[in-house]
Amino acid sequence: MNASSMALPLALNGFGMKALAGNSTLVQSLLAANVPVTDRILVIINLSGGNDGFNTVIPLDQMSAYTALRSNVAIPENKVLRLSGTLTTGFHPAMTGMRDLYNDGKLSLIHSVSYPNPDQSHFRSSDIWMTGQDATQYNESGWAGRYLNDRYPGYPANYPNAQMEDPLAIQIGYLTSTTLLGPSQSMGIAINDPNSFYSLVGATSSISPDYLPCCDAGDLIAFIRKQQALSVGYATEIKTAYDAGRTLATYPTSGQNPLADQLKIVARLIHGGLKTKIYFVSIGGFDTHSAQVDTSDNTLGVHANLLGRLSSGIKLFQDDITAQGIADKVVGMTFSEFGRRANSNNSKGTDHGIAAPMFVFGNAVKRSVIGTNPDLATLTTSSGGNKDVPMQIDFRRVYTDVLNDWFGAGVPKTNSLLYRASPSTLDFPTVSLFRNEVETVASGPWTNKAVWTVGRQPLPGEFVKVNPGHTVTVSQDVTIKNIRLEGKLQFTGNFKVKLTG
Amino acid sequence: MPYLDLHSTPLTAQTAAHLLRRTTFGPTPDDITAFTGLTASQAVTLLMGNGNYALAPVDVNDAKPTVGQPVATIPWDGDRNSELGYFVAYWWLGVMLGQNQPATLLDKLTLFWQNHFVTSRTEVDDYRFIWKYLKLLRDNALGNYRTLLIEVTKDPAMLKYLNGNENEAGSPNENYGRELQELFTVGLRDLAGTTNFTEDDVRAASRVLTGWKFTNLWQPGSTTVGMVFDAIKHDTTDKVFSAKYGTQIITGRSGPTAGDLELNDLVAMLLNRPETPLFLCRKLYRWFVNPIITPDVETNVITPLAALLASPANNWNIRPVVEKLLTSQVFFDLANRGAIVKSSAELMLGILRWFGVVPRDMVTQPAAFRKYMDFVYLRLRDLQQPILDQLTVFGYDPYYQPGLSKLWINTNTIVLRGEFIDYLVQGWYEVQPGYRLQIPLVEMVEAIQPNFADVPPLPPTTPPTGTPAVTAVQVVDMFLKNLFATDISPEQKDFLIDKILMQELPRLSWEFEWNDYRRAPTDSYRRNIIHWRLQGFMKFLLRMPEYQIM
Repeated sequence: MNASSMALPLALNGFGMKALAGNSTLVQSLLAANVPVTDRILVIINLSGGNDGFNTVIPLDQMSAYTALRSNVAIPENKVLRLSGTLTTGFHPAMTGMRDLYNDGKLSLIHSVSYPNPDQSHFRSSDIWMTGQDATQYNESGWAGRYLNDRYPGYPANYPNAQMEDPLAIQIGYLTSTTLLGPSQSMGIAINDPNSFYSLVGATSSISPDYLPCCDAGDLIAFIRKQQALSVGYATEIKTAYDAGRTLATYPTSGQNPLADQLKIVARLIHGGLKTKIYFVSIGGFDTHSAQVDTSDNTLGVHANLLGRLSSGIKLFQDDITAQGIADKVVGMTFSEFGRRANSNNSKGTDHGIAAPMFVFGNAVKRSVIGTNPDLATLTTSSGGNKDVPMQIDFRRVYTDVLNDWFGAGVPKTNSLLYRASPSTLDFPTVSLFRNEVETVASGPWTNKAVWTVGRQPLPGEFVKVNPGHTVTVSQDVTIKNIRLEGKLQFTGNFKVKLTG
Repeated sequence: MPYLDLHSTPLTAQTAAHLLRRTTFGPTPDDITAFTGLTASQAVTLLMGNGNYALAPVDVNDAKPTVGQPVATIPWDGDRNSELGYFVAYWWLGVMLGQNQPATLLDKLTLFWQNHFVTSRTEVDDYRFIWKYLKLLRDNALGNYRTLLIEVTKDPAMLKYLNGNENEAGSPNENYGRELQELFTVGLRDLAGTTNFTEDDVRAASRVLTGWKFTNLWQPGSTTVGMVFDAIKHDTTDKVFSAKYGTQIITGRSGPTAGDLELNDLVAMLLNRPETPLFLCRKLYRWFVNPIITPDVETNVITPLAALLASPANNWNIRPVVEKLLTSQVFFDLANRGAIVKSSAELMLGILRWFGVVPRDMVTQPAAFRKYMDFVYLRLRDLQQPILDQLTVFGYDPYYQPGLSKLWINTNTIVLRGEFIDYLVQGWYEVQPGYRLQIPLVEMVEAIQPNFADVPPLPPTTPPTGTPAVTAVQVVDMFLKNLFATDISPEQKDFLIDKILMQELPRLSWEFEWNDYRRAPTDSYRRNIIHWRLQGFMKFLLRMPEYQIM
């Protein structure tokens, strides 16, 4: 065999490939593997302020460049939490819970998520993430709100009904999140805070009541607060679910970890049988312009505390729903309006940046990692010599997988919910978050990460699908679990595709 | 303890705002400024003196040839009874909103009397009657209670509403005779629980009142309404009252003056009862000061106030009593601030007034006025306060049912109050193309930004140039200034800044965003970033329980 390129049709089995039928275990979808699509639940966790991705997920393969960019906040290499299956990527030392989930295959790390023409205004960039629109578009409704509006037409006038007897979405927060805004009203029920929630369900909370002025005014304010709690829509359904549910993880005392306080409620409502599809919770404080680390120890301080709460909140939640036996029907995802600069500032902080990692967790995630560590040699340089992490993955690709694969919205609907129009092809390609197969999105060399849905080369344990019309050029030996060829492989030499499964 | 002694300290912004919240349908920021520094007496004198009587309700249907014409003079057209009846209420709402008028207590007091001497547009069913009745109440709101009571008794709307028209010798209708005692004078029971009148007294009073007739109800083409005394229908026998009234006898009369003569006797007898001024003063106290009357207040406020009202020197003049109460130490006492849940009208009209979202002129822009009032009237009706259309003779529930002003708030009205707030914050209601009812949030921030155009350059210069942005704290302070009747804690204010306005971002972010807008004030993209944040903040602020009380 000479070095000239050769194309192998699917039928050719010279490298030990197996052609795989559509109904084999390889292509089993979540529909078969998991709970019915109609029962699935999404938990959205908003990290408000712009999370510093570079101190969240640390590029162990580029530690000297990493440290040089941000020596006054950098996490020392020996403190970085190691992850199974990779030597190149680690987590902030406060993230032991998420490390465990990652190692268990229940947490997906998505590198360098952003969108074209990034905006560094908190307000505007939050709006872009929450609406799911282009930076050049200007719509007010939220991506999840549009989805619910489409799935439950006529809400709220004709609800509750037999199709949906519970709130479509529940948000814990003081302002109605744009994420849950439908075309004309919020599709969610908002509960101010855990304290309001416990007031609603008639349980006591250790959070002290708000200030009351003296005399009759104080009595009236207390009375109105109570009525406000009771006026939450679907109060009866929520209380019923709360009473029916249990808590099977040991959460911290309320008030210590605001995210855990919120997720504890979510877990209990899900366990109690509430059919709500989307929960929205949030944790703020990520806008760490200064003193994000302790004066003497970069592994401690404000950002470490935030990540610790995030990590332990998610871990406790996942443990809780696992113990309750309901983990199969829940996935969660984090998002933050932007990442922070690769280089730190002189105040032991980091300024507004572009891309940052996102996390998706749950039994259903199929990828431990999507994308690769940012390449510190090719960062974007902005004014003043600042370095920014460029986008690898458009956040709407993650939304696409949530809508299309997790909620089963279908391709045209998924596209239209994200302001795209293709009838048959996902305009924002899958990142194979919930799929067994890593697929091609374009022709090109096997080693080119842009060829693959997952934004990196397939891993040895992964199933691979070359899509029709795509030709992947193989210029070295590669190892994968198995392959389904609907397009072509082109070998530039005597190289092997080793199959392990 | 503070009672009826004069509140002699000049008004601060807080006490001025308190006075205005209780006596108008909400202050404007300018009102508070104008009243700060006055004495309570000066302020109340101003509030009693103001009040524009010149205009009467006009037809605001621009599709009709009578548009702009006073409704009272339009020849009767039964097809338009309902519509023109709404326009009477719309006119009153317009007066309550007081566009371009100095602050006045007249309409808050007129509403008090209207809720005291209830008739309803639906039951009376002739808008001209309703207007005549409303005008009677307004004209006499600060006048003499004896006069008011006599005139209301003979008022066509009241004759219709409480069936005085059907009350004739030989076939008495006791409806008005009862309410006259139960609701307008002595009250049902005294504080010890003893009834203040008997069923025989109801019959006796009814017989006194026989013979009064309204005129021209639903009379096609008629241009006036009124009442007459029909001596033939009057019961000319003597009327004997129970021991509650000292077994007083009102001598039966005949002839054309019989009705007035006997009515005068009846009113004199009712006003002679010590229960009557107490009953009225309790109602005034509940309306203006605090729905809860403690035994201490009964002894030290109600009793002396009642004595003033009924004293020979005062002889039932209302004005000195209202003045005494509104300038008193008990009125301004800290314990009474925020002691009333705002009625739906106080909340809604209060928001519209506070933010200057006032209606267009009724005469020159009738369609815009009408569409504005459609919105306000219907929302008020949904919020259990249909204007000029109470469901029962007892008035709006929260002024007499147990629970009192708390009754304005329930899980339903909370949602509807929130919806109203959202409409105004978002500008969802379009009166006419290009004219929406909307709180001017960005403009309010612009108004406190010194040298708006002199924005610091990017990148910053050393030393800094330009006029710094107003801070998040200044913005929140501006919106909070005099907004609430009670104080809030520093923690609450931080919460409003950090959790609600900033949504947990550092406060400095506000200044970056605001300066970006200042650099591109015509860029809707930059403006919307600011506007959306302020909208979320304002929706929260106006929903706060602290804003629901006054």
